[in-house]
Amino acid sequence: MNRTLTSLWSLTIASTKMYFRNKSAVFFTLFLPLAFIGVFGLLSQSGTSSFTLDVTNHSSTTLAKNVVSALGKVSAFKVNEVSEADGATQLGKGKADLQVIIPADFGQVDPATHRVKATKIITHYNAGKPQNGQAANLVLGQIVAGINDQVTQAPQIISLDSNGVKTNNLGTIDFLLPGILAMSIMQLGIFSVAFAFVSMKTTGMLRRIQATPTHPLNFVVAQGVTRLLIGLLQVVLLTVLGVWFFGFHMLGNWLTFLLMAILGTLVFLGFGFTVAGWAKDENQAAPIANIFSFPMLFLSGIFFPRDAFPDWLKRITDFFPLTYLADAFRSIANEGAHITQLGGDILGLVVWGLIMFAVAVKVFKWE
Amino acid sequence: MSQTTLLEVKNLRKTYDDGFEAVKGVSFNVKKGEVFGILGPNGAGKTTTLEMIEGMRPITSGAAMLDGIDVQKHPYAVKERIGVQLQSSSFFPNLSLVELLRLFSDLYAESTNAMELLREVGLEEKAKAQVKELSGGQKQRFSIATTLVNNPVAVFLDEPTTGLDPQARRNLWDLVQQIQKKGTTVIITTHYMEEAQVLCDRVAIMDEGQVIALDTPDNLIKQLLDRGFKPQTKVAPATLEDVFIDLTGKELRD
Repeated sequence: MNRTLTSLWSLTIASTKMYFRNKSAVFFTLFLPLAFIGVFGLLSQSGTSSFTLDVTNHSSTTLAKNVVSALGKVSAFKVNEVSEADGATQLGKGKADLQVIIPADFGQVDPATHRVKATKIITHYNAGKPQNGQAANLVLGQIVAGINDQVTQAPQIISLDSNGVKTNNLGTIDFLLPGILAMSIMQLGIFSVAFAFVSMKTTGMLRRIQATPTHPLNFVVAQGVTRLLIGLLQVVLLTVLGVWFFGFHMLGNWLTFLLMAILGTLVFLGFGFTVAGWAKDENQAAPIANIFSFPMLFLSGIFFPRDAFPDWLKRITDFFPLTYLADAFRSIANEGAHITQLGGDILGLVVWGLIMFAVAVKVFKWE
Repeated sequence: MSQTTLLEVKNLRKTYDDGFEAVKGVSFNVKKGEVFGILGPNGAGKTTTLEMIEGMRPITSGAAMLDGIDVQKHPYAVKERIGVQLQSSSFFPNLSLVELLRLFSDLYAESTNAMELLREVGLEEKAKAQVKELSGGQKQRFSIATTLVNNPVAVFLDEPTTGLDPQARRNLWDLVQQIQKKGTTVIITTHYMEEAQVLCDRVAIMDEGQVIALDTPDNLIKQLLDRGFKPQTKVAPATLEDVFIDLTGKELRD
């Protein structure tokens, strides 16, 4: 008993050291998911809708200048002052959403009546993206109406009172981060165990342990414990960074989140040990590991929701272990789901875990 | 040298699943404190015999008793008492020599002084290095160090000098003799005859899964000459290896 604990502890420490000294392993489990979240996080932030307006002002009047500066103050607009020809080209290339032309007589006072001449602001929008052009047109119409009111000094009958309210607006990052976490846990469970273990087999390290009074099963357990710790580290690190830098919303309980991470790591360790136990060398391990992970990577709703799938595919992918894990993470983070509300996902994962560990025991070969 | 028997091998057999008979009834005794050599060409069954004695491979029939313990019944009790160097020895990557030795001590739940052990095999300055940075001879010396962490009654060395240069080989012989001086029994396989002649108190020659001769090297040579054997070429007073060692010196080159 004493020896079992000593050797288990020592093997776990050794496995952890080996893991963190293996630069490519650290890169794949910690930095790659981080890079994924960084890239997608930035993409989704820049996706906040802003309209590009190319403005050509032919008029020199104060009123025309006021219109242009009013446009610049609208936070949803990005205003460029360009020549009419350039504006047309930009619109044609799809680089601008709306071309605005202020004619030369805009805001000029008619010397006969001493009143501002009636005139028009001309806009062109991209017919291929009508929603953008129309939305920009609407805002522009508001500004024009406001100026009209100022000029004609018509009394205001109806006004709008709009207030900003802070809400838990779920963004792209709230969909992506739980998915990428689940994916990282899968990769960690399957690949890092499969390859580390198979190389112990091929280099004869496992044989060397068999020559000592410590059963090599201790080494299997040590590898598993190390991966569990790394899985937890992954989840904490990525989630905290997501909250700090990318506005990830964690509505649920952190502990529940971590418990799901542990359960998920265990399930995918089952896959990893199946591959590691069955394969004789790396050449056998790689294709099997990919056969397990690839369909899940694309069909478990990690990068895009499964709603777009045909019904039959959705039914099948409902039962993928990665689907259970990603859905559970999303329910906790996005909806604040309590552990009792995750019964279906937990059951699915437990069943998968039991199946894979049974298979691993069945196919395991020490040599 | 004391005459008590440490290892008793009786009619040991190994038949693999595919029907191949690797070891066909091998018997021999190893005395406490001796260096016992198992010689033979590749495929003679040396490694399989060793692995059965070490408790690493199931015995088809026959028995091996180490220090009075039946290997087949108590493989773990035997493993606790012996040190094993495998033919293709490889170690965990990314760990230093000291870390590996401490890990091995823990696998036996022994508290060994890792640095002391490295000093014994002449690898003190390499304590922080990894196995992949070592030369062939250093690797084998380290591999032998890992067999000593539990202060074993016997160490099993499977072809420890294969692939080493003459200097490294001689250096390893010194190490084996040093281990023997401390009272540890050494069971060694090799296919270098002059190595067996230098190191071994007794040798068993194996071929095709059987022991075909067992005696001291001197007696075996004497028996051969008694049978009327005449060397085909005139025995040179020195060998090419003597020339090589004389010219390049005995110092290690790793």
